[in-house]
Amino acid sequence: MQIGLTISIIGHAAALLWGVISFSAKPLDSKPTDSLPIELVSTTEFTQLMAGNKNAPKAEKPKPLVEKVDAPKPAKDLNAKVDNKELQAAKEEPPPPPPAEQKVAEQKPDKKLPEPKIDPLAEQMKKEEAKKLAESKAKPVPTPPKRPTPPQPKFDVNEITALLDKRKPQRLAATGDHLNHAPNLGASTGNAAKVSQNELEALKARLIKLWNIPAGARNPDELRVEIRVRLGRDGRLSAPPMVLTSGHSPAFQASREAAVRALFQGQPFDMLSPATYEEWKELDILFDPREMFRG
Amino acid sequence: MIPQLSRRRVLLLGASAAVGALAGATPRPAEAALRLDVTQGTVQPLPIAIPDFAGGSPSDAEVARNVTQVITANLRRSGLFAPIDPAAYIEKTVSIDATPRFPDWRVLNAQALVTGRLSRQGDGRVKSEFRLWDVFAGQQLFGQQYFTTPDNWRRIAHIISDAIYERLTGEKGYFDTRVVFIDETGPKERRIKRLAIMDQDGASVRYLTRGEDLVLTPRFSPSTQEITYMSYGQGDPRVFLLNIETGQREIVGNFPGMTFAPRFSPDGQRIVMSLQQGGNANLFVMDLRSKTTTRLTDAPAIDTAPSYSPDGQRICFESDRGGSQQLYVMAAGGGAAQRVSFGEGSYSTPVWSPRGDYVAFTKRGRGNFGIGVMKPDGSGERLLTEGYHNEGPTWAPNGRVLMFFRDPGGSAGPALYTVDITGRNEQRIPTPSYASDPAWSPLLS
Repeated sequence: MQIGLTISIIGHAAALLWGVISFSAKPLDSKPTDSLPIELVSTTEFTQLMAGNKNAPKAEKPKPLVEKVDAPKPAKDLNAKVDNKELQAAKEEPPPPPPAEQKVAEQKPDKKLPEPKIDPLAEQMKKEEAKKLAESKAKPVPTPPKRPTPPQPKFDVNEITALLDKRKPQRLAATGDHLNHAPNLGASTGNAAKVSQNELEALKARLIKLWNIPAGARNPDELRVEIRVRLGRDGRLSAPPMVLTSGHSPAFQASREAAVRALFQGQPFDMLSPATYEEWKELDILFDPREMFRG
Repeated sequence: MIPQLSRRRVLLLGASAAVGALAGATPRPAEAALRLDVTQGTVQPLPIAIPDFAGGSPSDAEVARNVTQVITANLRRSGLFAPIDPAAYIEKTVSIDATPRFPDWRVLNAQALVTGRLSRQGDGRVKSEFRLWDVFAGQQLFGQQYFTTPDNWRRIAHIISDAIYERLTGEKGYFDTRVVFIDETGPKERRIKRLAIMDQDGASVRYLTRGEDLVLTPRFSPSTQEITYMSYGQGDPRVFLLNIETGQREIVGNFPGMTFAPRFSPDGQRIVMSLQQGGNANLFVMDLRSKTTTRLTDAPAIDTAPSYSPDGQRICFESDRGGSQQLYVMAAGGGAAQRVSFGEGSYSTPVWSPRGDYVAFTKRGRGNFGIGVMKPDGSGERLLTEGYHNEGPTWAPNGRVLMFFRDPGGSAGPALYTVDITGRNEQRIPTPSYASDPAWSPLLS
């Protein structure tokens, strides 16, 4: 029984050892980050927007930098139907646009604000607020403030005209057309990605331009090549590229050689910043022309 | 002698071994390789440098230069290569025995380099050798030498072009091939039509008939040395089998009511043809050894222009059984036929690609003729060219290039054109006079 136990224990230990060695799994790959180029705001600007700067001055004026709102022009009196009360409320255009709108504008710098023409609802809200303020000022008596009834229950064309005229398009300029390049107060490494998406996109773009694939190939799957690349600090290859996929068809050979040629020709990859060298010193590049062979 | 182990010691031993195993298996540090997906590339002609081949002696230098020019023209005409102008070369002549100075070629952006030499041997044969270099990786990709008679230099140039094409694109080449066509001369009302054969680049034209009879639709046999064609003599059309090398002519049969010459099956044992009876035309297959004929279709319609698939298992043909001319595919032994063309217009002259992945056809609609390709199941239809009159596609042996003839109308006559399967790179093939009905041979080597 002792011998049996001995053998059993040694056998288990050996099995464990073998299992540990042979089943040592590939380390989990991190999910590849798909970077989508943004249409309206380029990645550079996005990165810069998100990055903070410790030395930036505190923004005294809230973004967007609207200094003051012009006194609204009185609505054209096209029709006697125009309510005077409305005009007055409109004139008492309150203090700067409510902070809520500013915040909205700030968070979505890439959305263009609609023209004032189609913004009667916001106008209405403002007017209601204005009315409230005006009325609370006028009547210090804390009577329940007249509920500001919606000024025009029905959309009168003239009312729209009244709405249209009172605002200058300043708001547009502040939130839609120009991005605020003034840096925010904050840490520079807080939000921005380590290797900027911009750099990886540029590297991809260069490889796309150089990878000359055989078109009209019979089976696009044969053209997939995965290559591991080691780069030096200067962006040049520090070792010959290591091809990880294997294949025997002539189409694969041609595609693999074209990919290796693209890597040789594209060096030095100077778009990658030396500061993040540790991140990009080893790259696993998958050349797969799936986008070109659809349909 | 196994030492006497007490139970305790055994347990300790086992436990320590297990712990040691587990401890030794510290997980490897996670790989830090950054992952990048390149999901597309460019389709651009590959810049290649081909300096003149060296000649063993001054007389050989002339031939060597001609060989280089034929190779350069072949690669450029394929649309997949962009030979670099020799005037830009830094190193004008590169000996085939030496390793080239790659930095000189990298500066020109050449991705591949070809060096070669032609030299006459003692027994009168010519030895041609070449090397293909990868400039950016700095190594040789391929090298080969050939022995042949001096007057075969054109074929050597084509064979070398094929080797370079195949190594760099991954597909078999098509340069060492010939094209048989109908040469047309004379005014439009009285055209003289002769059967002619030439290299695929237009060189070495030879006439095979004299022009007394009307000849039509030549076809190559898979063995490349024989062609069939139809000849309208005094009476009924006859199908001839002509051996190109020997010039021997044989009548395959007297087939009244035939409009297209027959096509060979891929194994060369059978021919399939369309015979007309009354207002009806049906497909028949004839075994060339036993000369037995079998009927394949039975529909009360005109079934014509059959073409075998490269594995010989299926036949695609043109039929108007559905009311208009459309393409159908059926098994090589006959039986039910499936319609595969569904676009607007009428389809004719289907030809199955040697690669098996496409069927080329002529499409007529909206007053235009076009040459197009579709997959054998009918999907993926694309038009490669459209115009007043384009007709009669024939495939290069690598299934990548199509040749057809185009008639501009008016008093001018038809001419031969090639187009790549991607629709790019339409080129005109020079012929001595007007030309039509091309048929592309298989690779000669």
